Amino acid sequence: MSALGALLTQAPAVPAGSMSTGEAVAFWILGPVALAGGLGMVIARNAVHSALWLVLTMLCLGALYMAQQAPFLGFVQIIVYTGAVMMLFLFVLMLVGRESSDSVIEVLRGQRIVGIGLGLGFAVLVVAALGRALTEVAPAGVAAQNAAPGGNPGSIGRALYTDYLFAFELTAVLLIVATVGAMVLGYSERARSRPTQRGLVEARIRGEQGRPSPLPGPGVFATANSVATPALLPDGSVAPESLSEIIESTRRDTIDSDMGGVAGPEADLGARALRGPEPPAGSDQEAGR
Amino acid sequence: MLAVQQISGAGQVLAQRAQLPAIDYGALAPLLVILGAACVAVVVEAFVPRPARWGAQVAVTVLGLAAAGAALGVHLSSGAGGVVTLAGTVAVDGPALFLWGTLLALGLGSALLIADRTVEPGGAFVADAAVRVGTAQDRAQNRAQRAQPGGTTPGGTRAAAAGGHEEMQTEVFPLFLFSLAGMMAFTAANDLLTMFVALEVLSLPLYLMCGLARRRRLLSQEAAVKYFLLGAFASAFFLYGVALLYGYAGSVALADISQASAGTDRSDTLLFGGLAMLVIGLMFKASVGPFHTWTPDVYQGAPTPVTAFMAACTKVAAFGAILRVLHVGFESTSWTWRGVLWGIAIASMVIGAILGLTQTDVKRMIAYSSVAHAGFILVGAMAMTPDGLSGTLFYLLAYGFTTLAAFGVVTLVRDAEGESTHLSQWAGLAKRSPLTAAVFGFLLFALAGIPLTSGFTAKFAVFSAALADGMAPLVVIALVASAVAAFFYLRVVVLMYFSEPAADGPTVSVPGGFTTAAITLGVVVTLLLGVLPSFALDWAALGGFTS
Repeated sequence: MSALGALLTQAPAVPAGSMSTGEAVAFWILGPVALAGGLGMVIARNAVHSALWLVLTMLCLGALYMAQQAPFLGFVQIIVYTGAVMMLFLFVLMLVGRESSDSVIEVLRGQRIVGIGLGLGFAVLVVAALGRALTEVAPAGVAAQNAAPGGNPGSIGRALYTDYLFAFELTAVLLIVATVGAMVLGYSERARSRPTQRGLVEARIRGEQGRPSPLPGPGVFATANSVATPALLPDGSVAPESLSEIIESTRRDTIDSDMGGVAGPEADLGARALRGPEPPAGSDQEAGR
Repeated sequence: MLAVQQISGAGQVLAQRAQLPAIDYGALAPLLVILGAACVAVVVEAFVPRPARWGAQVAVTVLGLAAAGAALGVHLSSGAGGVVTLAGTVAVDGPALFLWGTLLALGLGSALLIADRTVEPGGAFVADAAVRVGTAQDRAQNRAQRAQPGGTTPGGTRAAAAGGHEEMQTEVFPLFLFSLAGMMAFTAANDLLTMFVALEVLSLPLYLMCGLARRRRLLSQEAAVKYFLLGAFASAFFLYGVALLYGYAGSVALADISQASAGTDRSDTLLFGGLAMLVIGLMFKASVGPFHTWTPDVYQGAPTPVTAFMAACTKVAAFGAILRVLHVGFESTSWTWRGVLWGIAIASMVIGAILGLTQTDVKRMIAYSSVAHAGFILVGAMAMTPDGLSGTLFYLLAYGFTTLAAFGVVTLVRDAEGESTHLSQWAGLAKRSPLTAAVFGFLLFALAGIPLTSGFTAKFAVFSAALADGMAPLVVIALVASAVAAFFYLRVVVLMYFSEPAADGPTVSVPGGFTTAAITLGVVVTLLLGVLPSFALDWAALGGFTS
C-alpha cells in the first residue's frame, strides 16, 4: 500500500502522462504544504507541534490521493492515519507530558550542521536521480483498478486476501507483539501491590522482620524515661536489645554536655538508676545510660 | 438503488474471484508451529498463575521448537523439492529449509540460555520492567535479588517465601518465539512486502527484549532505544527501496523484479536506487560494515542470552534474506552491484578487525568480531554460484553455534555486580576455572578460523567459492583481515592462560543444566563441523532457490 502511495505521489511530476489543470493546481498547492509539514515536524521543538505538523502532511497526502483517482486510499489516509492514529498519538503525548521537549544540547560538536548537509545532499541525489528516471515512464494509473467490479476498495481487498494473505496475517503478529510490549513496559504488578496491614502483621509473626514485638522500653524499675536508659531484665542485668545503637556508638565526651543539660550539673544518675554489669573503673556515669 | 446494486455486485465479484491462494501446510508447518507456540505462550502468560509461569513457558517454548523441528524433518523426508506457496509470497526451498533448521537449532540453544535461572538467581531478565530505574521499588527488587543466595536479609527471605524463586519477566518467551517466527518468515519471503513485514516481526520483539536486563538496567534500556531508533530508520530505508523497486518492476515479487531487469530499456535508476536502499536495510540487520554502529552498544547492553540470540539468529536470518534478494532478484544485474558490495565487504572486515583490536570489553569484542564475520559472509554471498550459496549457508550455521556458545560462557564469569565483561577481569581465568577457559579458548579459535574447528571449514568453503567466482583480490583482503582478527582472539587466550589472576577477580559460576546444555551444544557442533563437515555441507548444497 505504501509502495503504491509513494508511486502515486510521484506521478503528478511526470510531464509525459496526461494531467488536468485542476490536478496540477492541486499538486502545486498541496505538495509544498505537505513538504512544509514534514520540515515543520522535524524542526518543531515541542512534540505536540511536531505531531500537528505531521497531521498537516498526512491531510495533504490524503487530498493528493483523492486527486489521483484513489478516493478510498485518500479517505483511509485521513480517517485512519490522521484521524485515529495521530490523534491517539496526541493523547499519549498529552498523558506523558507535553512539556517534555527535545534537548537542544549538541553532544557531538558540529553534528547538526554535518547532518543537515548530508541530508540535503542525499535529498538532492534522490530527487535528481528519480526526476531523471521518471521522465520516460508512462504512469500506470489506477483507472483499470477503479473500473474493476468493486472499484478501488474491492481491488485492495482482493489483493490483501489473496496475493498478500501471508503478509496480512503476519501483521497480526506485530499487533500481538506491540500489545505484549506495552504490557511489559507499562504495567507493573509490583507497583500496584502494596503490602496490606494484615500482610505486614502476618509477615511479622512469621519472623520475617527480625522480631515480632517492639524493642523493650526502660521498664517499671527505671528511674528515668530517657532513651539512654536501658531496660532491665528480671535478674537486674541490662537487656542488650534496649541499648540504643546510636548512643552506644557515640563517644562519651561528645554527649556529656547534652546529658548534663538534661540531668542538671549535680545529678548523680548512677545513684538512681539500677545498675547493670559493673562498668569499667573511672566512668561513674556509664551505668546511667 | 445504484449503490445497492454496486454493493451486491461487489459482493458477487468478491465471492467469485477472491479465492484463497493455495496453501501448502506441510511445507509451512515449522513456521506455523512456532507462530502457534508463540500464541499459546501469550495465553499462558495471561492465565497461568505467576509461580507456575516460568515452567509452563519453558515447556511451551521447548515443545514448540521440538514440534517445529519434527515438522521440518517430516517435510524433508517426504522428499518434496522447493515449494512456492501462498500465492508466490513464501518459498520453502533448499536454502530456506536449511536456514529454518539452523534457526530452530540455534533458537533451542538461545531458549535454553534465556530460561536459565541458576547462574543469575531468577534469570537474566528483570522481575518487573515497568518499575523505573532508581526508584524505591527498583531498589527493593534489586535488594531482594542480591540477598537471594544467602537468604539472610529480610527481603531475601520474603522473596524466597513468595515463590521459591525470584521472578522474571516471563513475557520474554512469547517475544522470543515471535521473533524466531519472524526470522523464519524473513528467510523464506519471496516478495519484498512479505519480507518487510517479516523484518518487522523479527525486529520488534528484539527491541523489547534488549531492554529487559536485570542488571545494569539503564545500559540495557539505552541499548533498546538505540536499537529501536536505528532499526526503525533502517526499516524506512528498506521500505523506500521497496517502493522504488515497485515503481521499476510494477511488482514486489523478487522473480518479477528479476524478469523486469533482464533485457529492458527502462531506466535503471529506480532499480539500483531501490536495490541500494534495500541493501542498506538488510545490511543493518546483518550488522555489516558501515551499518554496524548499533552492534557494539546493543550487544553490550542487552541481556547476554538475548545478545546470543541476536548474534546467532538475526545474522542467519538477515543473510538468508540477503542471499535470496541477490540470488533470486538481482542475479542478472550482478555485474553492476558487485563493486558496491565489494566495498561494503572490505569496509566491514576492516572495521571489525581493527576496531576489535581496541576493545576492552568481551561483549563488545565479540560484537566487532561479528562485524568482521559479516564481511566474510558477504564475500560468500556475492559469489553467484551453487558453491557460494552452500558455503555461505554453512558459514552461517557454523558461526551461529560458535557465537551462541561464546556468549553462553560470558554469562558464567561474574562478580558481585553481575557479569564481569572487562577483559582485565578475565586475566588468569585458566587458573580459576580450567574448563571454562578451555571452552572459551576453543570457541575463540573457532572464531579465528583455526583448523579442526568449524570456523576454518566455513572460511575455507566461503573463500574457495569466492576465489572460483573471480574475486581473488577480495579473498586476499579477507585473509589479511582474518589474520588481524585472529590476533585479538589469541590475545584473550593469552590473557586467560598466561596472566596472574587478580586478587579481587570474578568467580566462575557453575552453570545449571540449561546453560550447560546450550554451551555443550555450541561446542560440540563447532567441533563436529570442524572435523566432519561433509554432512552439513551436503545438506547446504541440497538445492538452490525456487521462486
